[in-house]
This record gives sequence, C-alpha cells and structure tokens, in this order.
Amino acid sequence: MAACSRRLDKFIVSLRLLRNLQLQNERFLSTSVCRWAPGNDSEPPKFIPPSKPVIIDKTQAVATLRKFLSPEFIPPRQRTNPLKFSMERKDMIRRRKILNVPEFYPGSILAVSMADPNATGKINRFVGICIQRGGKGLGATFVLRNIINQQGVEICYELYNPRIQKIEVLKLEKRLDDNLMYLRDALPEYSTVDPDMKPVPFPPTGEVPLNELKVKMRPKPWSKRWERPKFNIQGIHFDLCLVPKQMEHAQKWAQPWQEYDMLKEYDTSKLEQQILSEVQQEMSK
Amino acid sequence: MAAWSCRFLLQRGPRLISPRAAAESPVQLVGCVRTVKTTTWFEEHLTEDNQEYMRKTMAEEYRRQTAEKLNPLKDEPWQRHEWTEGSRRVGLVAVKLGMAPIWTKTGEKHAVTMLQVQDCHVIKCLPREEYDGHTAALVVGGKNVSPFHRSEHYMEMFRNAGVPPKQKITTFKVSDNAIIKPGTPLYAAHFRPGQYVDVTAKSIGKGFQGVMKRWGFKGQPASHGQTKTHRRPGASGPGGDPAKVFKGKKMPGRMGNIYVTAFGLKIWRVNTKYNVLYVNGSVPGHRNCVLKIRDTVLPTRGSTLLSPPFPTYFTEDEGDLAEDLYDDDLFIHTEPSLTLT
Repeated sequence: MAACSRRLDKFIVSLRLLRNLQLQNERFLSTSVCRWAPGNDSEPPKFIPPSKPVIIDKTQAVATLRKFLSPEFIPPRQRTNPLKFSMERKDMIRRRKILNVPEFYPGSILAVSMADPNATGKINRFVGICIQRGGKGLGATFVLRNIINQQGVEICYELYNPRIQKIEVLKLEKRLDDNLMYLRDALPEYSTVDPDMKPVPFPPTGEVPLNELKVKMRPKPWSKRWERPKFNIQGIHFDLCLVPKQMEHAQKWAQPWQEYDMLKEYDTSKLEQQILSEVQQEMSK
Repeated sequence: MAAWSCRFLLQRGPRLISPRAAAESPVQLVGCVRTVKTTTWFEEHLTEDNQEYMRKTMAEEYRRQTAEKLNPLKDEPWQRHEWTEGSRRVGLVAVKLGMAPIWTKTGEKHAVTMLQVQDCHVIKCLPREEYDGHTAALVVGGKNVSPFHRSEHYMEMFRNAGVPPKQKITTFKVSDNAIIKPGTPLYAAHFRPGQYVDVTAKSIGKGFQGVMKRWGFKGQPASHGQTKTHRRPGASGPGGDPAKVFKGKKMPGRMGNIYVTAFGLKIWRVNTKYNVLYVNGSVPGHRNCVLKIRDTVLPTRGSTLLSPPFPTYFTEDEGDLAEDLYDDDLFIHTEPSLTLT
C-alpha cells in the first residue's frame, strides 16, 4: 500500500462519488489519486477499504509546559534523613514513567480508572471534582467528590496505587481554596459532575484558570464551622447565609499572631527548585 | 567519664551567699564553678587550628580504616564453614530512616520501615570458652561516631579491631561455625527478601506517665459525681488477707526508653547500593535511632528455603548483586499497572 496523505472527509465523499459516477482509470493509480482521474466502464474500481481515522487527543497528548511540581514531592519539615526522601522520590518517578499523572489542583475535575480487586478483570471509572490533595511521598492521596443518584460520594485515591490504570483531567482549574471540604455543606449543584463529561481542552502553557466561584451553602448546622478564620475559606458566599454579627463572633477564634510566628515558617522555594530540576531530569531519561 | 559537679554562686545584693542560706529569700544565680577538674573535653586546651587539624585527621583516619577493611577475604581471613542445621549467624546494626507504603502483586497495601546499615563492622570475637561456655559471641558495632567524646576504655576495643568508633555495640550469640574475623564490614545484603527478622531497639521515652497511658487502665468516668478521680489507678489489690500490695503492682512511673523487640518482620526489599532494608510493619524507636537486627527465633518463620549468605555476605564472593532485590510478591514500580485478572 502506498503511504499517502489522507484527507478523511473528502475521501469519504469522493468514495461515494466514485461509486455513483463509475469513474474509470486508465492508469493504475493509488487510492488518493483515484478521486480525480475519471475512468472507463471496463475496469470497475476495486473495493478500497476506508482508512482508519487518526484521532489526535489534544487534551492529554501534550505534556504540560508549565513548571509544576506535584505537592507530594516536597518533603515535610522533619528530622528525617534526606536519603529516605530521595529513595521514595526514585520510586515515585519510576511509577510516573508508567502511569502518566497529569497536573491537577483541588477544584479540577478528574476521571480515574481503577482495577477492582473484588471483580477481577473489571475496571471502575469514577468522575468527580478533586476536593483535597493530601499526603507526602508514595502515600499521596486525592479525594474526588460527585453526586450520583442524589447521593454524595467521595472516594480517596492513592496516586501511586498500582491498581490505577488511568488518571485523566477533564477540566483543569483552580479554586480560591486548597481544601474544598465545605462542598459537603454546600448545595448539591456545586458537587455534581456529569460522569460522561467530555474533556475540556486546555493549553499546555499559560496560567491555570482560577474559578472565583463563591458557593451557596445549605442552612446551618454545617459539619464544620467554616466561617471561623482557622479554615480561611474564600470560596463561600457568607453574605447569603450569615449575619455580620455572626461573622464578627467567628473572629473571636482568630489567632493573628500565627502570621508572625517565625518558628512556623517553612520556606520551600529553594527545595522546590532543586527537586523540580531533579524530577524533570529523571523523567526525561 | 568522671561525674561532673558544680558549686552554684548565688548573689543577694553585693554579697555572695551559700546555697543553704539561700532558701528563705529570693537570690540570683550568678554562675557556677566547676569543682571537679579531672576531665576535660577535647577542645578545652587546644587552639582553633589544632581543633580543625584534629577533626580533619580523624575524618581521614576513618576513611583509611574503612578502605582497608573493604576486602575482608583478601587479608588473612578466618576459615569459612558451611551452613549446618541449627547454626546461627550474626546480625546487623542499622539506623531507622522512616516508613513508606508498598503494594503487593494482588493490590494490597502494606507499611514498611526503611532501615539503613551504616558502617557496620565486627569489633570483637568472643569464643565459646570466653563468653559463657555454651555459645560463641560476636560483638558488632553500628554507626560511626567521633572519638573525642568517648573514654579511652571505650576506644580501646576499636583500636584493636582497626575500625572507627561506633555509636552502638551489641553482642550476637552465634554458633561456632559462624564466627567472623574482627574488622569485617557487614552489609544489608546479609539479609535477603522473603526472610524474617527480629528488630530490637530502645522505645521512645515518654517520661513519667500515669497508669492509664502506661498500663492501659480504664480510669473513672468523667462525670456523675466523681470527685477529683478521673485517671487514677483505683484499688491496689485484695484487702485484709494479704494486707499488702504485691511486688510488681502496675503503678505510674517512667515509661519507654527500654529495649523492645519486634518479632517475625518480613523483609520485602533490599537496596544494595545504599544498604537499606525494607522491613514489614513498624519497629520500636524514633527516626534515626540505632537498632539491632537478627534472624528470627520464631520456629514457623525459619529461613531454610532461602539459603541466605553464611556466615555473612562478602562483596568479592558473590560478585555484583542487582541494585534492588525484591520479594516475589512485591509490586515493583517499573512494572505496568495491575489489572487483577
């Protein structure tokens, strides 16, 4: 078969034309050139099976060109030997070479396919909004939330679990907070994600879009007192559910001195750069 | 090291006062005078350049000593015997790095502790007659440490072995055919994946603790009329017949900082490059503590099938092992994702 450039839709149209008009070729021509040359009736054209459509998945194929280091690579501030972290990082990179873990943030919509241990051979696919990313090293987890048949479902997945077959980001975006646990007390429309949602394409360069959505809450009592300053939540529309007097009362639990506490400072910028360069080097090998 | 003692100088106003008279009214601590002047620390009488020189020479000496001992089979080795039924081999001294998760080929998750074997050398051999008449023993040392804060008596045995001084030394009871020449380095490949080990270490010290934390007593209810009694031990024994409290009664006291052994821990993975063992479950002790590892005494977890290196692993003998040795059930991250068919 001669390798030739295929223009799919034109080819299908032309194939129909071929059959209708009974084009005859005098010379033996390759399939793509067939459509132009009119032939004679003595040589009916051979059946040429249509070429398979080439699907270019623009959402996943291009790796992100943003400088993004997954938060589980940054070691916590402990008196541990750095050798332990570097050995764990090697294992994490080995796993990442097999399973492509895309860049995502709390607030992005993900679809995870995982092998089920109780139903051998079957793969479960769950779509949800990521509400939390926790853990460091190989035990890093992320929680996906969705509402299925009017029942809220949250599943905590381990990023490096070998049963995970695929992680796809259907919609990449950031929210105003890192932890969206308040979605449990918000109206169900904010946690519903369509399981058959099509991936929204996003460019590999440029800023990650920030969704400045302020969520409407169900009436109190909530599972946690989200108005208190320790949670520091920007993403709830407090004006609709709380009176200014209640907001002031919540400020009683404020601890303004924590901002100035030097012992709580953990500057990770240099460590991040170092680890990012190490990870990028290893991944490109 | 001789005990240190100090005389405190206490001041009230312009006059110095003795400690006995100080108890009644407030005094200020001006300073303390060292009254026992027999021991010194290594920097006390040295100039700064000499201190630097001492540190540098010590480091070079360590490197030279370790390099000398790298090929134990080449310099007058002792006779190596074959493994027989009932022979016990030596263990290792390692440092606890931390914990990490691992997954098996069936998709189950287990937690493992990473133990690194840092500078483990055999220090002394005690043959059967010297030790206790029944079994021979080998004294093994762990992590290297500076010689400046150790006594001469401690340094003597390391000098005899030609090895830098270690932070922890332990004795391993060993059968006669497993004795090793002092100075031999011991590596993590001494243990193989699939083997079971016992790990002994000093547990984390909790200080003086009450009876609920220390012995797990139930205490008393928080409300319903309890007067000042919520975490107390309650009764201390039967009544008038013994008319005493038995010895060993569980009471509050210092908890932790004692040697605890975890038995029957499986080895999942051995990293020969950094000498790290991945051992199942948790292990007593804090991070970076020094522990003693030996083959299990449990009869159901003997390692006869695996044939681990006897008397120990020699680098020249077995040639190049792979950088990572894995257990059969362990999922290695370079394999494709599990489909569980």
